Amino acid sequence: MPTPLITLENIGKTYPAPAGDFHALADIDLAIDRGDFVAVVGASGSGKSTLLNLLGGIDRATRGRIVVDGHDLGAASERALTAWRGRGVGIVFQFFQLLPTLTALENVMLPMDFARRGTSPARRDRALALLDRLGVADQADKLPQALSGGQQQRVAVARALANDPPLLLADEPTGNLDSRTAQSLLEGLAGLVRDGLTVVMVTHEPRAIAYATRSVSLADGRIVREERIDA
Amino acid sequence: MLSPRWRKMLRDASLHKARTALAIVAMVVGLAGAGALLASWALVQRVTAQTFLASRPVSATLRVERVDDALLARVRDLPAIAAVRARRVVFATADANGRRTRAQVFALSDWHASGIGRLLPDEGAWPPRDGEIVLERSSLEFSGAALGGTLRLSAGGNDAVALPVAGIVRDVSLPPGWMDHVVYAFATPATLARLRVPATFDEVQFVVRDALDRDAVRRVAVAAKASIEAAGGRVTGIDVPVPGEHAHAAQMDSLALTQGAFAVLTLVVCALLVVNLVAAMLAAQTREIGVMKVLGASPGDIAALYAGFALALGVAASLVALPLAVAIARPYAAMKLDMLNFPLGDTAIPAWALALQFAAGCLLPVAAAALPVARASRMRAADALRDAGIAADGGVVRRRFALPFVGRPLRLSIGNAFRRRARMVLTVLALAAGGAVYLGAANLASGVRASVAHLFAGHRYDASLRLVDDAEAARLEAAAATVPGVAGVQALAKARGVLRHADGLDGDAFALVGLPAESPLLALSVERGRGLGATDGNALVVSRRLLKNEPLIQLDAEVELQIDGKPTRWRVVGVVDAGPQALAYAPAAALDAARGGVLASTLLVKLASSEPAAQLDTILRLRAALDGAGFAVAGSEVMRETRRVFEDHLLMVVQFLGVMAWAMIAIGGIGLASTMSLGVLERTREIGVMRAIGASDRAIMTLVQAEGLVVCALAWLASLALSMPIGYALADAFGRVMFAVPMRAWPNADGAFAWAAMLGVVSIVACAWPARRAVRMPAARALGHA
Ligand SMILES: Nc1ncnc2c1ncn2[C@@H]1O[C@H](COP(=O)(O)OP(=O)(O)OP(=O)(O)O)[C@@H](O)[C@H]1O
Ligand SMILES: [Mg+2]
Repeated sequence: MPTPLITLENIGKTYPAPAGDFHALADIDLAIDRGDFVAVVGASGSGKSTLLNLLGGIDRATRGRIVVDGHDLGAASERALTAWRGRGVGIVFQFFQLLPTLTALENVMLPMDFARRGTSPARRDRALALLDRLGVADQADKLPQALSGGQQQRVAVARALANDPPLLLADEPTGNLDSRTAQSLLEGLAGLVRDGLTVVMVTHEPRAIAYATRSVSLADGRIVREERIDA
Repeated sequence: MLSPRWRKMLRDASLHKARTALAIVAMVVGLAGAGALLASWALVQRVTAQTFLASRPVSATLRVERVDDALLARVRDLPAIAAVRARRVVFATADANGRRTRAQVFALSDWHASGIGRLLPDEGAWPPRDGEIVLERSSLEFSGAALGGTLRLSAGGNDAVALPVAGIVRDVSLPPGWMDHVVYAFATPATLARLRVPATFDEVQFVVRDALDRDAVRRVAVAAKASIEAAGGRVTGIDVPVPGEHAHAAQMDSLALTQGAFAVLTLVVCALLVVNLVAAMLAAQTREIGVMKVLGASPGDIAALYAGFALALGVAASLVALPLAVAIARPYAAMKLDMLNFPLGDTAIPAWALALQFAAGCLLPVAAAALPVARASRMRAADALRDAGIAADGGVVRRRFALPFVGRPLRLSIGNAFRRRARMVLTVLALAAGGAVYLGAANLASGVRASVAHLFAGHRYDASLRLVDDAEAARLEAAAATVPGVAGVQALAKARGVLRHADGLDGDAFALVGLPAESPLLALSVERGRGLGATDGNALVVSRRLLKNEPLIQLDAEVELQIDGKPTRWRVVGVVDAGPQALAYAPAAALDAARGGVLASTLLVKLASSEPAAQLDTILRLRAALDGAGFAVAGSEVMRETRRVFEDHLLMVVQFLGVMAWAMIAIGGIGLASTMSLGVLERTREIGVMRAIGASDRAIMTLVQAEGLVVCALAWLASLALSMPIGYALADAFGRVMFAVPMRAWPNADGAFAWAAMLGVVSIVACAWPARRAVRMPAARALGHA
């Protein structure tokens, strides 16, 4: 059996609060294999985004051990974590979070710029190829405000894939899209998974879960159910 | 091709176009001012080194009864001495084309010496031939004479002799003649003989071999004195100037120091603006910074991005400011050099000054932005992403201001002003700094005027005349009193007093004024001790400056003075303020007794008319009458004029401070405009909501203007507080360099009101554009702004 891409061991995340510590996540044990498309579901406030932030190295766990692709995120220095974030993981936000003063193309080139990857023309070619793959190549030179929500989210996915990370994290990527646009985006993600990408996606929508290969349900910071979904 | 991150920076900056431009303009003003000061200082330093130090200025002057070649050779042979020369200085009256002036004629033993007090021939003949004179460059215009013309010189009460002006020379060791109102001339001993004054040399001047401090030079001078006395000569005095310093150098240096301090203050104000601009950009982009971090940007990447923006601001400002600074520095340096009597020479500003200025200009905004940039770049990605944008709340303050008499709109404006507290504090400080300097300058000006008024308070005469030779007081008064237009006269005796030190050396000569028991036209305003009484014998009232110059002179001390070469003992009974003059007053009877005669050399005159033209008429009549009665008049002064010139001279520094204050207020105003426009930008949505619920253009405009006024009111209060230490420092610095002025704790009311009015105008102007933007904002766009 191959080693999983992601291992979570006894993870907990506690936020200090005036009325005592608040446990956003507790006792999380989870292994995610390469090529998995995991849907994280649960009620609002159950800790889904918190979990994703831990996986993306944006936030640190209070307890336990997280290993992603051989990197122990808890033990890594801030600098190492930054470097890893640039190359090891792609993140897609619910509100797209494209930088408003950069064109779609430039947004996609930015992570390669930060990772100092390749030459400038090479970055440009790769960014164009990614936009093309997500079907928004014709929007390359537009600013985000000139794009529809669906187009923006595709650009955001392209940006997340810029440095060819093995893992993509998406926090309610379809939350702000109509159902048809959402569907095509999910199909795009499923296609990427078939090509070997691992995706962890937070979602509320049952239809989105259908595209996943696994689902993890959270309630009050704990995993309450885990199942494999067969197509 | 520019990488995406820099393209982002460029476009973000262009979003803040107006604010960026304002910050650059403010920095240009500050950098040009500070740079001009630095560049002119550097230029003056270099010219000083190239001309003054290169002229090998005299290290010490010994007054000797009679100097001959053998004596000079003895001094030259001393091991510490590099060069010597002999000199005689003759005080004379000059007359050229009807213009009468005081003159000093120098005869030197060696006109071509390059190792001591080198003179720079400028035009015409050099050295002076017998029967001719050469004028010093800085007194040529003042003398009224021209090259090739003639100057009539009279000395020692002898008839004037017309001498051709054969050449012009520059002596960089002399203060400018036009400034000191003296005509400096060079002539041979034979020419002095034609003026019928002693033509032998009576001073030995030398330059020491190594760079020594003043005390070491003094020791060399004492050795020279011993050597001269061993050969039978008699040394009556030693004068050792501060080595390597021009007569006006201390004044110039203190001026430069004060200016430098204010230049730094101006730059600090500029830096505050940059901090505000960069902090606002960072605050607005917190979430974007979070996103960039998620995309793999390291803290260094983020810091480099915003520091790069600051650097670009600095480079842009420096590129504009540098040529401006050079353009200002040249004429300014020329003015300073003129005041030092140095030739302008090479006007290229030293490269190091330009480089330093450019580097400082580029790095200033980077340094200013360092703290907020460092904080933003170190922020954790998770926190940055959570940032909800601009959500600072002035709620607490707003509630505290919920006073019954403060209307709701004003309360809103006050609350708005307090929303971004750090930014408001910086804006207030920037404005207050300019105001404090303005108030400080206003305070200093009124202090100077008050001091001058105090100084002249005891002067109840309108004019004074100086005689060439001493005359009998009663005869002089009688001759003057009958002239029509003269309302009162009083003759004064003036002698040269020289303090005898314990080591047998003489101090610098100072004026000793004999005051009659009845002195209707001149009253002393005694500061410490007491004035002179009718029963006083050898009592002295000394000026504060004399007290400072001579440590031996103390209140109640007994001192030995040389008067007309005779030693006498005096007791110091009081101290008066005589401005920058080192002088002492003694009872006329005691002074007459010490000198052996009732002699007067100055006549104080009270005039019947206070009308300038009539006064001048009377003075001319008086001079003619005195000349006719055998009293040769060397010069006359109209007190009103003297006082005005004196006051103007002092107020020059104050005026400079005024200019600095204006520059700083302009920068502060730019800061306010920038802060207000940021406020409007950040409150786009809120303004939209107010629009939607029916706020009128006027209401919105008033809201913005009122907020500006709130900030200005705070700045006014802060400037009052700040002006106290600044005023204190100014008065102190001024007192040290020029003239003691009273320190005032409170800013003067006129200045404070004027500044309040000015702030009102600044506020309205600075808020005009932000207010317009707020009004122009369509409700829909305002609401849509995320
Ligand atoms: N910085 C924080 N400080 C304190 N509590 C926090 C913080 N961030 C999150 N929480 C709390 O942790 C819990 C989990 O938050 P999280 O954002 O992970 O929920 P979620 O499952 O993503 O909810 P939603 O579906 O609404 O996005 C919530 O109760 C939230 O209030
Ligand atoms: Mg969430």
